Amino acid sequence: MKSPLLTLRGIEKRYASVKALGGIDLELRAGESLAILGPNGAGKSTLLRIMAGLAHPTSGTLEFAGGKHDRGQIGYLGHSTLLYPELSARENLIFTGRLYRLDDPAARADQLLAEEGLAEVADRRAGGFSRGMAQRLSIARARVHAPSLLLLDEPYTGLDEPAARRLTSRLQSLSTEGHALALVTHEISRAALLAERAVILKAGSVADRVENEALDEAGLARAYARALEGEA
Amino acid sequence: MNVALAILWKDLVSEWRARDRVVAMLIFSILMAVVFHFALPGSRPEELQALTPGLLWTAYIFAALLGLNRSLALELDNDALAGLALAPGNRGWIFLGKATANWILISLVQAITALIFAIFYGVDLVPALPGLALVVGLGTVGICAAGTLLATMAVRTGFREVLLPVLLLPALFPVLAGAVEGSLAAVQGGSIPFESLQLLIVVDGVYLVVAFLGFDYVLDE
Repeated sequence: MKSPLLTLRGIEKRYASVKALGGIDLELRAGESLAILGPNGAGKSTLLRIMAGLAHPTSGTLEFAGGKHDRGQIGYLGHSTLLYPELSARENLIFTGRLYRLDDPAARADQLLAEEGLAEVADRRAGGFSRGMAQRLSIARARVHAPSLLLLDEPYTGLDEPAARRLTSRLQSLSTEGHALALVTHEISRAALLAERAVILKAGSVADRVENEALDEAGLARAYARALEGEA
Repeated sequence: MNVALAILWKDLVSEWRARDRVVAMLIFSILMAVVFHFALPGSRPEELQALTPGLLWTAYIFAALLGLNRSLALELDNDALAGLALAPGNRGWIFLGKATANWILISLVQAITALIFAIFYGVDLVPALPGLALVVGLGTVGICAAGTLLATMAVRTGFREVLLPVLLLPALFPVLAGAVEGSLAAVQGGSIPFESLQLLIVVDGVYLVVAFLGFDYVLDE
């Protein structure tokens, strides 16, 4: 069995008196895909931001490959695109590449633009992009430094069906290549397609964990419904 | 250092295309010149010469507040600030890039503001230019060092427009003390007091070091 890439132990997050997360334990191994499911307000995005290093847990520990958290090994796609509207698509990626100290950010930017089907609009300002195009560019941004762990918060938002299929295919390839994925989504079918494991959050705690063989769409939907029994 | 240069490039290119920060600061400075013109009717030339450094720095400080607030507010669009926080390595370089971009843009506005004041009040600033440029440049380093750090702290709060002046203005008292004294000496044709330059250099150094080291913490949620 591969060693854990990201390990979370007893992660708690409080905002004043409000408990957003309470005692989350989680392991993610290299090349593994994890789906994080749950209703609105369950703490999925907070958990992902803690995993990314954007938010500090109130208590608990977080290790990357057995050591300190390493932002350089993590790619993150949040609810927002993290893009600069005045820069072109290509400039956005080159800028991000320079933040990650890539040797040739321009070449990497061109490669990613081609992969995301954005080569023809590479020199257009990101501020003029449709939601779907901005989302594709944002996914390219998250991958610019070829991170070993990709954290994706609702990555299918705004994508049309061909772009969503292309993203699924790309994420499957990344997983095959050994990248670990953690995916927050409401779409159980896509979670079942991509992930080997799933955790279902409810009110900031893990309500259920679903492993390998149970992770077909129907099994996951049943587990999700069971975990959320009693929710309004 | 490459990260600082990347941020500097991004901020200057974004401003060149949007032109919102510089234009807003300039309009504000022109309005300040007009307000002072009405507030000080019938002043004699020598009185205006003595008042000009103080008036200039009042305009500089409030225009800078406007620019600094906007500089960080731009990073909130699309949560780009999180994108910066995710970058590996020492976040001090991010501070340095942003502070340098702020210094360049604010300095540009200050140069045009000085020209406007000179025209409005009939003060000949040309002989004072080298000394004035040195003092204003040093003073602006302090404004941008403290301002970039504090604007980053204030930007995620719901009342950033109020919080930044409340935090920044007290921090700028020593900068103002050195800058106004030095500017007055430059405008009156004398040599700039060593104490003014010394104060500005020490305050700049302290603010740069504190902000470089502290930026790592203020970028976190």
